Amino acid sequence: MFRPSPSVLDAVGTLVRLGLAAVWLVSGFAKISDSGQTYLAVKAYDVLPDALLHPVATALPLLELALGAFLLLGLATRRVGVASAVLLAVFIAGVAQSWARGLTIDCGCFGGGGQVEAGQTQYPQEIARDVGFLVLACWLIVRPATRFALDRWLHAGAPQVETEKERI
Amino acid sequence: MGGAERSARKRRQQQSAAVRAVSQARGGGGPSRKTIVSAVAVVVLAVLVIGGVIWTNASKNATEGTTIAPHASSAALDTPDERRGATVVSGQASAKVKLDVWADFLCPYCAQLQQRFGSQIEDQIQAGNVQVTYHMIPLLNNRSDPPGYSLDSGNAALCAADQGKFTPFHDSLFASQPEEGKRGYDNAQLVKLGQDLGITAPQFASCVNAGTYDQQLNDALTTISQNPDFQGTPTVMHDGSVVNWTQDGWLTSLVNQAG
Repeated sequence: MFRPSPSVLDAVGTLVRLGLAAVWLVSGFAKISDSGQTYLAVKAYDVLPDALLHPVATALPLLELALGAFLLLGLATRRVGVASAVLLAVFIAGVAQSWARGLTIDCGCFGGGGQVEAGQTQYPQEIARDVGFLVLACWLIVRPATRFALDRWLHAGAPQVETEKERI
Repeated sequence: MGGAERSARKRRQQQSAAVRAVSQARGGGGPSRKTIVSAVAVVVLAVLVIGGVIWTNASKNATEGTTIAPHASSAALDTPDERRGATVVSGQASAKVKLDVWADFLCPYCAQLQQRFGSQIEDQIQAGNVQVTYHMIPLLNNRSDPPGYSLDSGNAALCAADQGKFTPFHDSLFASQPEEGKRGYDNAQLVKLGQDLGITAPQFASCVNAGTYDQQLNDALTTISQNPDFQGTPTVMHDGSVVNWTQDGWLTSLVNQAG
């Protein structure tokens, strides 16, 4: 069976890591820059009690930005991969329950969100997209080694850092 | 633990710290790098979280501590007895065109209606061509954070109507409309607006604070929600049929048709 070399897997892993970082940074930024809409989007899922809406709507964009920042730096990649997978599973569950209950909402995944007209829902696409992101997160859980990552620098000794600097 | 024992332990700790510092300075050893990076990560994370929470709350509570700019309108638009239950009637009974407007002070399209056609409507009322019955309904009452702005503002507008100041109160609230999902204005701010518009009667503040018309407004919302023609806010009706207000010139053509 064909088995890609570690350096190829490292390169793919790097793209996966940076891709997922971009997803979190873009979605987190979209949410934090329209805090009113984010509140309405969280509310539209009709899952949380009123007292939790405000804290969750405030914390969610920050969590996404933090995950994105860690992935961008390649810090604690495996743990951040686990956290990403958990958060994505929560999102998928949220969209699925809205679909199952016949709510008509936009997921608000990348900003926006809230109630929409009955014909305007896109539940299958939203779930498929989140599953795609979940695959990225799972890659990083299974194989967190990537290039240009702080993790690598942390686990390496001084000589390796020097050679990396020379390469740059 | 004795004093000598304690100082010996402290010395040992200092020594090991010194050893660690030296090994860090030499650039060797994984754990020390890990410590530095962890510390930096924790600090950056703390800054992100604290800054993010402060920023989010500031943006959500932008209306806090502000004064709603008073927006004067012609005194001819209001009368001391303009409030009829949970509605307000502006204009002469002899007007040929009679409109009903259902709106919510939090609804963005309602603010758009007001921005595009508010002065036209008011001009036609003043000219004696149009009579408008305003229904301020709390449709979006749970869409402010904290909830309740729709009802509070609708009630306050009826309190202002009791003082013959509905139109300027209505126009001012739409001109400074808070965003959905964010903080609206509280009763103190609504009272201040009324006072800035020239309301002096103490009954106004007690009416706003007591939520005197809350029940009537909620009942009006229930009633209109059962009407199949009602399509949310804003809904404009002429003789019971819905008017497409998004088309330019709808008001002029209504007035012209009425001859």
